[in-house]
Amino acid sequence: MDHPEIIPGIKNKFVDLNPLSVSMPYPDEVVLQIDPRDFKNTCLALHKILFSPVMALFALDERRETGNYRINAIFLDLKNSRWITASIAVAQDVPCFDSLAKSIYSANLFEREIWEMFGIEPKGHPDLRRLRLHDEVCAKENYPLRKDFQKIQYGDPSDYKFARVEGDGIFEVPVGPVHAGIIEPGHFRFSVAGEPIINLELRLGFTHRGVEKLFEGKRYPDAIKLSERISGDSSFAHSLAFTQAAEKISGALIPTQAAYLRCIFLELERMYNHANDIGGIATDVGFSFPSAYASIIKEAILQLNDRLTGSRYLRSINTVGGVLTDIDENKKQILIDALKHIKHDFDELVKMLYSSVSFMDRVDTTGVLRRKTAEDLGVVGLIARASGIPTDLRKYFSDIYKEAKLKMATQESGDVLARLRVRISEFKESCRLTEEFTARLNKGEILRTGPVSKGGSALGYAEGWRGPVLYWLKTDPTGLIQRCKIVDPSFLNWQGLSYAVLGNIIPDFPLCNKSFDLSYSGNDL
Amino acid sequence: MNKILLLTLQLAFFITVAPLLSGLITKIKNNIRMREGQSVFQPYYNLVKLFSKSEVISGTASWIFRSAPFVVFSSTLTAALLIPVFIFTSPAHTMGDLLAMVFIFALGRFFLALAALDTGSSFGGMGSSREMFISSLVEPALCMVIFAVSLQFGSTDISTFSGAHAISVSSIVAALALFLVSIAETSRIPVDNQETHLELTMVHEAMVLEYSGRPLALIEMASYIKQMVFFFLIAQIVFPICLPSYENLAQAFSWASWYCVRIILISIAAALVEVAVAKMRLLRVADFLEFAFVLGVIACVCAIVGV
Repeated sequence: MDHPEIIPGIKNKFVDLNPLSVSMPYPDEVVLQIDPRDFKNTCLALHKILFSPVMALFALDERRETGNYRINAIFLDLKNSRWITASIAVAQDVPCFDSLAKSIYSANLFEREIWEMFGIEPKGHPDLRRLRLHDEVCAKENYPLRKDFQKIQYGDPSDYKFARVEGDGIFEVPVGPVHAGIIEPGHFRFSVAGEPIINLELRLGFTHRGVEKLFEGKRYPDAIKLSERISGDSSFAHSLAFTQAAEKISGALIPTQAAYLRCIFLELERMYNHANDIGGIATDVGFSFPSAYASIIKEAILQLNDRLTGSRYLRSINTVGGVLTDIDENKKQILIDALKHIKHDFDELVKMLYSSVSFMDRVDTTGVLRRKTAEDLGVVGLIARASGIPTDLRKYFSDIYKEAKLKMATQESGDVLARLRVRISEFKESCRLTEEFTARLNKGEILRTGPVSKGGSALGYAEGWRGPVLYWLKTDPTGLIQRCKIVDPSFLNWQGLSYAVLGNIIPDFPLCNKSFDLSYSGNDL
Repeated sequence: MNKILLLTLQLAFFITVAPLLSGLITKIKNNIRMREGQSVFQPYYNLVKLFSKSEVISGTASWIFRSAPFVVFSSTLTAALLIPVFIFTSPAHTMGDLLAMVFIFALGRFFLALAALDTGSSFGGMGSSREMFISSLVEPALCMVIFAVSLQFGSTDISTFSGAHAISVSSIVAALALFLVSIAETSRIPVDNQETHLELTMVHEAMVLEYSGRPLALIEMASYIKQMVFFFLIAQIVFPICLPSYENLAQAFSWASWYCVRIILISIAAALVEVAVAKMRLLRVADFLEFAFVLGVIACVCAIVGV
């Protein structure tokens, strides 16, 4: 499905990059086929022109069809509301490609992932330690995402080499993977001089479940259920991104009513998570009254979700071609009434926090992530906005949000307070948007059934509460999923955390961590 | 009254009532936070549970780790014997004065800090170093309070000033300083947070993280008693005290109920502080305790001036 009227313009724009071919399968996607030798230069040029981090970089096993692997690098062109994919073929007998990691930091983790999952070597990569697969549960030379991979083999435990800081009075403090609270597992290795943190290295992957492999061979209905369970607190954003990719492939156009409903649920998810995080920040500085207050607000939103959809965490709503749950007049009233209370309570909460000297003293100037660092690391979503990078997929890609005049919340200082402020303004904005979308609901159809099973590939995306959730999907002509690449915003943002804490004292780490509030399972997949 | 009997009575009193005080503060806190909260007797259930559990000891731990809970518990109880509760003189007033109490507490703290280092866990070391940092600031403040009080009464022996005395500016300021000190000593917000699950922010809890079963119960018990000792001291310093004569039962009863009211008032104050402020950044604790120290100095000056 090319768009011939736009193609020439695009071609001219990218002619300097010397692509083998340029295609535009969807109005918001441009795919450049590149000679493998030009890969690095092209990606660097895209990175500079578009001012975009590597949003996704992943491999595909196409050996059965073409005898090659394929590597796709996806960049974000905010100005033109487009995604640019640079794609190369990698010969199966020499599985390697030029590493971008030394020039574009955000490619670093993606390349380590490609190396451990496919055994395709990023040539010139400075650090090829395994990322998610731990040796004791998956032996070396096992490449799970290759098509001919059969069964996982256990290996011998080996030491993961952490970066060492040495010197007088420098100590290493290992924390995790088991933590004291009810949270997910992750290992943090601090190097400290007394209390100040000199270096922090993360080792994650403890909740790696092989989700991307699980998607392969599934049909849409099962795959949607799976996507909802990748990161439990972003169920809706994940299923939304997945269904959008599926809808692009099958050419399904969703009804307006369904589009509004999706926006409402996306905002509700944002609201309950932001309320939770604001409460969490208060808990972590031992400020228990506002924290209790925030949990009341969160519970009110969860109960509202339950009454509107039958699911507190907004599951089983999205489907290819629309949504399964409507908001009728009765539910509309429930929603509007509940929002009124929630808004009132939230204002009280904010007043409480801002007027407490002891609280503000803790969050102000703590855990600063500078804009330059954030840009270099390719941090996305809420964390990027708190460091002064104006990026929000809703503003650039969605007509519905454009129509509702979404106000993007950005802050300059990049500290815990900035992230808190972004959350607070986004919560308020979400309330307003939800009200506005609710007013536009009418009794239209919510699902256009019968999307045809078609082969193809497409990128689905949604701005979840943490940031952009990306699903790159490829199906065969019968509609079976062949490859599903998931990028949760946590994946890029964990790096941001390890830089934001530098120079802070150890007891402030939990606070910095909470202000990022990243997903372990979304990262580990 | 028989001295042995008095001693036993006071020991029994502290051991049985101290957990209730802690339960009471937790209950008040939870009610302020719009929660039902646990029963005030929960600390007792916890202790029973811990006493019936076996313990796990790290392979690298030495005798220090094993003995520290006993040192902590017995030193805290000894300190508890130094304050008069039932009659004018404390059961052990010939043994030491208020200053001795400061150092008896220090003994327990010293051993606990050693024990935390002993297991070689990273949290223990962090806890010890933070505890020592805090206690080095707590002790001068506590000493200033003691000086202020003893300047007023001419002795550091608590028995001499626990008799009837009128309320004065000096004693109120001293009690305020002592209240701040007690917040630090009983690891409450804003200095420490008893309720936190975040290992990296802990002070006292980080030190006892390696303990389990009965030794943990002893340490918990010791913290309950320490808290009660401080509350009793505050009550005695700030409120004019008239200890009971036991010939008149009605008078004794009214004294006892007054005492309860005072302790409950102090508990409410402690609970309110904990709910109303956020925990301080660790290094800011120095400012907090400096403030307590300055209050102590003011109390001294007031005592010298005679107000």
